[in-house]
Amino acid sequence: MSRRLVAVLSLALIAAAALAAVLWTRSHPYAPVNTASRASATPAPLVVGGRAPDFSVASTAGLFELNDQTKPVFLEVFATWCPHCQRETAVLNALYRQFGSRVAFIAVSGSDVGMDHASPESQLDVLNFQTKFGPLYPIAYDGQLKVASLYLQGGYPTIVIIDKGKRVRYASSGEVGVAELRAQLEKVTNAATAGS
Amino acid sequence: MRFAVFAGRLALGMLLIVAGGAKVGHAPDLAAAVAGFRLLPAWAVAPLALVLPFFEILLGGYLVAGLFTRVAAWVASIQLLGYAAVIAWAVLHGIPASCGCFGPSDRASADWPHVAFDAMLAVLAAAIAWRAPGALAVDERLAP
Repeated sequence: MSRRLVAVLSLALIAAAALAAVLWTRSHPYAPVNTASRASATPAPLVVGGRAPDFSVASTAGLFELNDQTKPVFLEVFATWCPHCQRETAVLNALYRQFGSRVAFIAVSGSDVGMDHASPESQLDVLNFQTKFGPLYPIAYDGQLKVASLYLQGGYPTIVIIDKGKRVRYASSGEVGVAELRAQLEKVTNAATAGS
Repeated sequence: MRFAVFAGRLALGMLLIVAGGAKVGHAPDLAAAVAGFRLLPAWAVAPLALVLPFFEILLGGYLVAGLFTRVAAWVASIQLLGYAAVIAWAVLHGIPASCGCFGPSDRASADWPHVAFDAMLAVLAAAIAWRAPGALAVDERLAP
């Protein structure tokens, strides 16, 4: 077989794969939320002081597993379409700048509705949210709404602070100011420092 | 020298095949990791996450077989330099990105040792390209 023929076949294979990938992602805008899991995304009341349920998600900073975290955890369950969540990004960015080295931040999508308020949520919505609102902290797309089914407290954004011992120390629903969250994080980080 | 190039081809090629193979079937996880570097527009992330694993396997296969060795090694060198640059950019900007080098089970975060490792592999790939094709290469058996 000639070198030229193999080269042409190889390039054709690569071009076909690239074209197929582009066409596929145009017709399937990333993995959409698995609608079969909607029923399980029922808010479960969290008990402050109670054990935080374990979860794992593929975030923009790699796999995030709650039980593997050695620092306190700041969890936000958000919706890409939610204006409160969009505004809360600035608050969380300020907190991340201050506490990012002492607290593991993670924001997880928790709605089956996309950024346009109409289409089903997909990973593309979460990545567009990142581009548009610029969260500095890791964010994750949860296609099964598993985290929302464990942590969502009535509305978006739900914010939960978990201590080093994996106990829930704070839970809120809706927009929260930076002062309140800073006070809660100081409490949990001071306790973590005293305990270590 | 011919067998040193062959050994380099084998090592780099197998590494690319393993890295690509570990990513196959995990496009959403890879897309999240790629997006974590905040360099590409959101629309470009998914096609890249779908194609990149197969591209790495193909490139690795060429290097192992010694097929289009010089071109494959230069492409690998540029690709690895790109990885090193992107990881360095994330570290310098304090972006909490994941290396994502070996699929979702790879929990290594982007850091300076990864930059050094990728840069070292890029040098190895450039050396292979310079002395291509080395021993036991399909290139030597193909008609021009």
